[in-house]
Amino acid sequence: MKGSVSSLYQSVELHQEIPPLLIGERCNPNGSKAFRESLLAEDWDACLKVALDQEARGAQVLDLCVAYAGRDEAADMVQLTQLFSGSCRAPLMFDSTSPETLEKVLPLYPGRAIINSINLEDGGDNLDRICRLAKKYGAGVVALTINSEGMALTSEKKLAVAREIYDLAVNKHQLRPHDILFDLLTFTVGSGDETMRDAAIETLEAIKLVKQEMPGVGFTLGISNISFGLRPAARKVLNSIFLHEAVEVGLNTAIVDAAKVLPYATIAEEDRNMCIDLLFNRNPDALMNFIDHFEQAKEEDGDEDTETLLPEELLHQKVLNGDKDGLEDLLTTLRGRWRPLDIINNLLVPAMREVGELFGRGDLLLPFVLQSAETMKKSVVLLEPYMEKLADEGQTSVLLATVAGDVHDIGKNLVDIILSNNGYKVHNIGIKVAAEEIIARAKELDVDVIGLSGLLVKSALLMKDNLGQFQAAGLSQPILLGGAALTTKFVAVDCAPHFDKPVVYCADAFAGLKAIREFEAGKLLSTHWEEGTVSRNRPGPQQEILDRSFNPPDVPFLGRKVEKNIDAESLFAYLNQAALFRGRWGYRRGKMSKEEYEELHAKTVLPLYQRLKEQSLNEGWLQPQVTYGYFDCVSHGDTVKVHSDSGEKVFSFPRQSNTPGLCIADYLRNKEEGGDKVGFFVVTLGQELAEQTKVLYESDHYHDYLMLHGLGVELTDALAEYWHEKMRIEMGIQEERGDMDAYVAQGYQGSRYGFGYPSCPDLGAHEPLFELLQPDEIGISLTESFEMVPEMSTSAIVIHHPQAKYFAV
Amino acid sequence: MRYICTCCGYSYDSDKGDEMNHVLPGIDFEDLPEGWVCPLCYAERDQFDCLD
Repeated sequence: MKGSVSSLYQSVELHQEIPPLLIGERCNPNGSKAFRESLLAEDWDACLKVALDQEARGAQVLDLCVAYAGRDEAADMVQLTQLFSGSCRAPLMFDSTSPETLEKVLPLYPGRAIINSINLEDGGDNLDRICRLAKKYGAGVVALTINSEGMALTSEKKLAVAREIYDLAVNKHQLRPHDILFDLLTFTVGSGDETMRDAAIETLEAIKLVKQEMPGVGFTLGISNISFGLRPAARKVLNSIFLHEAVEVGLNTAIVDAAKVLPYATIAEEDRNMCIDLLFNRNPDALMNFIDHFEQAKEEDGDEDTETLLPEELLHQKVLNGDKDGLEDLLTTLRGRWRPLDIINNLLVPAMREVGELFGRGDLLLPFVLQSAETMKKSVVLLEPYMEKLADEGQTSVLLATVAGDVHDIGKNLVDIILSNNGYKVHNIGIKVAAEEIIARAKELDVDVIGLSGLLVKSALLMKDNLGQFQAAGLSQPILLGGAALTTKFVAVDCAPHFDKPVVYCADAFAGLKAIREFEAGKLLSTHWEEGTVSRNRPGPQQEILDRSFNPPDVPFLGRKVEKNIDAESLFAYLNQAALFRGRWGYRRGKMSKEEYEELHAKTVLPLYQRLKEQSLNEGWLQPQVTYGYFDCVSHGDTVKVHSDSGEKVFSFPRQSNTPGLCIADYLRNKEEGGDKVGFFVVTLGQELAEQTKVLYESDHYHDYLMLHGLGVELTDALAEYWHEKMRIEMGIQEERGDMDAYVAQGYQGSRYGFGYPSCPDLGAHEPLFELLQPDEIGISLTESFEMVPEMSTSAIVIHHPQAKYFAV
Repeated sequence: MRYICTCCGYSYDSDKGDEMNHVLPGIDFEDLPEGWVCPLCYAERDQFDCLD
């Protein structure tokens, strides 16, 4: 016996003599922009036109879906069914999983319809209700192989779920086998996801298995899912070949855009082979070859394709574009088709993987990566209420901490953002975390990998010590290390030998992501350093004979002063825009042409800068304050002895081990030369900016978080630049305000050497400095590593000697 | 051709060379010696971005 369906006008056999029966997919607000807009405008005639167009292009059955957020599905379905049933010759397929909607619409239809669809996701309640309706109204049903564990991926699972549904539908509800169309699910072979390489094989194999075990049943497939993620012109070919192959193994109906099915015979043999290699996973490079081969394929109907994006593809695009608009509606639609966890694992995570790859190739800039991560995060937040539990079994987990004494958390938080939005479980336990606590938390949380972060030179040394403690405590997780003071060599030579498991240097968040993936693949190795690798150059003069004939400057006062009344807006003139835009913010030109970069600069970067500048000023986030002073001093070897009212303070400075062997103390006169004058300053932007960046991070505004943090760091440096200029003018070694472009290259007399920077890496000098300047009066304190809090603070010794320039010890 | 250091804003100009690193005028950015770093902040060359 053959199954057939009918409209008011005609009967159509589900098993056509020349299969497949084509089911038009475009009467669906998520599949066709034209249909969606017509539906939202309640322009029913325009909806009908989409249906009639499909008939004209060869559709033999029409799928009708009206589920759309904000609409009344049952009312719309009734409306359109009444209209379509009098006007369309093709029988209808009611695309709804709602028994209530189906119950209203089935009695109205003057023919034999198909219900799309039933599944076992909820354990069978809806299936029971819908099968009773199908029996009562004589409808066929599409059955999706989904159960409470999700969508069946392997042929064995597809068969098992099909068997279960068959038993319920046929034995319990007395449907006839030929009234059932199994949709054994199609997944893309175009994502590059290693675990999905056999997706087409599994589906085709499942058709064979089900056909053999359950004679008489029919099949259908959403054909275009096979090529999701690929270019439209390539998709058309791949879809058509996949349809051909599926029909060969027994597919009798297919849900397609009828106009886009290419006759098999018209496809060139070379194109066919490319498709076959990819579908049947015949070689490891099949996907790359396929993409290369169809690179040049002409887009005949590009416009139409963008308007008929599937919701799955739309979500993919939204993540890639960092577009958060309309996510609620889109995810509501997707939840009708996928379990929330499947949306995350099968749609969102692959999209983020692509984002990471684009960044890795230099095709996507960091700010855009963060916008993508925000889209991912918002999607997950929207899905969470619909997930029974946060399924973290089997999920790789990572503990992240900034080491003791270090308050810097931007690097660690970026790693958190990238890892957690690529599907990993991240335990971010904060800043200034002692080794003992890291050990305790790693054991308690039973994490798979530990990541340590820290900006300071001291932090790098501490990481090395921590590793010894981890070893003694018996930790067995690989350790990832990140931070500005680390180098490949330091991690490989100084750190890795202290720990049995891999110790890996990660230069940025994506290196961290790569390391986690290698860990999962069992391929993670310690960072390796080869002797003989060219070491970094040491800029600066080879020889330096310092002029001793100069005189100390006239200073306006001796001792310290506090300045709290500084116009925040004036700092922006001292801001190093290149360092902010290209460095901190990551708006690098990279592969762009000069014109493209100029356009990005004008349309994106500058407006962003203006927005944050105005917001910071208007909201009072910037509270620039300074404590500074001038003092009598004498240099003595590598030390500078500074005279103050509270007694003599001694600053020890390191000396270069290589020629010319410079030391900051050399630029000041010794006792025999008559002593000298030296300046110091400590500047801060205050606590409020730190609070605001924290709010942004905690509310998942990743992009603005990085931007505001970067602005704060560079404005702190601008304040230092501004104050250094003021001190030079006060000392009479500069007449008036100078030019920022020249300042970048130290185009002024003298130098400011920041504590913690290359000329003086040791922050221990903050101890005498704080006794001299007492910056606690402007709200600055020191951590156990002598780091200043709040973070947006910086300090320097101010030297007037004309030859004083930056150098590294 | 000029290249700017995204860490500190120093710009390398091949017409001027880089005295601090003993690089004579006329050396293209791509041809700078191995191990060359920013003369001001010691950032490595992959931190540089083309200006022209």
